Amino acid sequence: MRETAVTWCLLLAGFLAAWSVAAATLPVPSYMLPSPGAVLAAGQDLVVKGILPTYIAESLRRMVLAAVIAFAIGVPAGIALGMSRRLAEFAYPLLNFFQSVSGIAWLPLMLVWFGFGERTILVAVNYTVVFPVALNTLLGVRSVPRIYVNGLRTLGAPRWRIARDVILPGALPSIATGMRLGLAYGWRALIAAEMLVGAHGLGFMIFTAQNFHLTARIMLGMVVIGALWLVLDYFVFRPLEQATIERWGLVQR
Amino acid sequence: MRWPRAAVNGLLPFGLLVVVWAVVTRAGLVAEIFLPRPEEVVRTGWAMALDGSLWTNIIASLGRVALGLCVSVPLAVGAGVAVGLSRRLAAVLEPVASFFNSLSGIAWLPLAVTWFGLGWVSVTFIMVNTVFFLVFFNTLVGVRTVPRVFEHAVRTLGGSRRHLIFQVLIPGAMPSIVAGIRMSIGFGWRALIAAEMIATSTGLGFLIFNAQNFHQTDTILVGIITIGLIWLATDRLVLQPLERWTIERWGLVSAP
Repeated sequence: MRETAVTWCLLLAGFLAAWSVAAATLPVPSYMLPSPGAVLAAGQDLVVKGILPTYIAESLRRMVLAAVIAFAIGVPAGIALGMSRRLAEFAYPLLNFFQSVSGIAWLPLMLVWFGFGERTILVAVNYTVVFPVALNTLLGVRSVPRIYVNGLRTLGAPRWRIARDVILPGALPSIATGMRLGLAYGWRALIAAEMLVGAHGLGFMIFTAQNFHLTARIMLGMVVIGALWLVLDYFVFRPLEQATIERWGLVQR
Repeated sequence: MRWPRAAVNGLLPFGLLVVVWAVVTRAGLVAEIFLPRPEEVVRTGWAMALDGSLWTNIIASLGRVALGLCVSVPLAVGAGVAVGLSRRLAAVLEPVASFFNSLSGIAWLPLAVTWFGLGWVSVTFIMVNTVFFLVFFNTLVGVRTVPRVFEHAVRTLGGSRRHLIFQVLIPGAMPSIVAGIRMSIGFGWRALIAAEMIATSTGLGFLIFNAQNFHQTDTILVGIITIGLIWLATDRLVLQPLERWTIERWGLVSAP
């Protein structure tokens, strides 16, 4: 583990050195390939001016909102549809279709409906997250063995108890997978929507920087976008998925 | 004869959706400019199919997907296996790959436009980039999860490095590679649509975004439906069979 960390640091140092040398010697204008120092300076500048923290907060706020709404809508919808075989068969092709048309593809229509602004971004991102969640919830519900449902029913449990005590726990691993996939799509959709609609946020930041050839700012934005997602994925989604799979899933030890 | 019933079950929901759509627009609940009638969309789609504009854009988009796959998949699998050969290097590069993975797609667009200008190169770059990192990451993970016993067994029996690569590592990593390809098409296709909206003047993304400027909601809907249908067809006819085949052939090989 320590060895890996050391190699990692060496690799990073080597990469930064190569980048600096390339930026200093290659015959391209500096806006094509800014030096690592320039990227750092851009970062410092953006932090001092307060632009970066504001935009990060803005993008994260939209993402959290989308996650909460998608969870609140997608999971109950998936469970309700999944509990009846006929409903599930009916809903599956629709959910699959709407999942496959990404929120970004709806963006032009949403722009006509809601105009250039916050609302369009939120609707597009929510749309992108909610369908994978609903679809995976439905699949998870369908994968719960009938025998458990029948068992509880035989013991006289009402429908809501079956939903709460059998279906929901049984579908949790699938729900976690759906959330992770949906949010991964949603994060990218958010960046794209911020570029196209242009109302604050990290996507907006790197997109406008391109107009002014502020390449250092673009690179900094990319590092922040990648790092933010990585942190969320490693420290929030992956443990969540792992926990649900270990607790309720098919892991046999 | 199961498939007619399956087809009916698959199409029925869409039929119902169109009926609801027709009723809503006919009753005048929404203005025509916000949601055109279904027959209007069909007419527009038909006209676009006849004058060829629909096909040009479909071919432009699909061509980029195909190019992205043809360039990236061999490169990514090669790089993934090469790195996976050394356990230490793999452990070091996995977080790096994971970082680029999380960055892949549309976030590269401003940089791509700075480097390559507006046009098909930038858009194709987005696609190539997205596919490369997802497949590379999955190959790396796949190679790493091949049980070492198999490796040792082939080595003990006098297998060369070539045997090891082509008969142990690549087949062992195959389910993971195919899952990566499938995911990369999903992510890449979305990124491509977004990139086409911004950086080029062909393709389905451009088609719908440009139509938005003129409030041509019927054209937008034709584009959206086309995008969805293409994805469903790819998924059903290419990706699912491919995945099922690899899993049957190579997957779930339990360690002894």
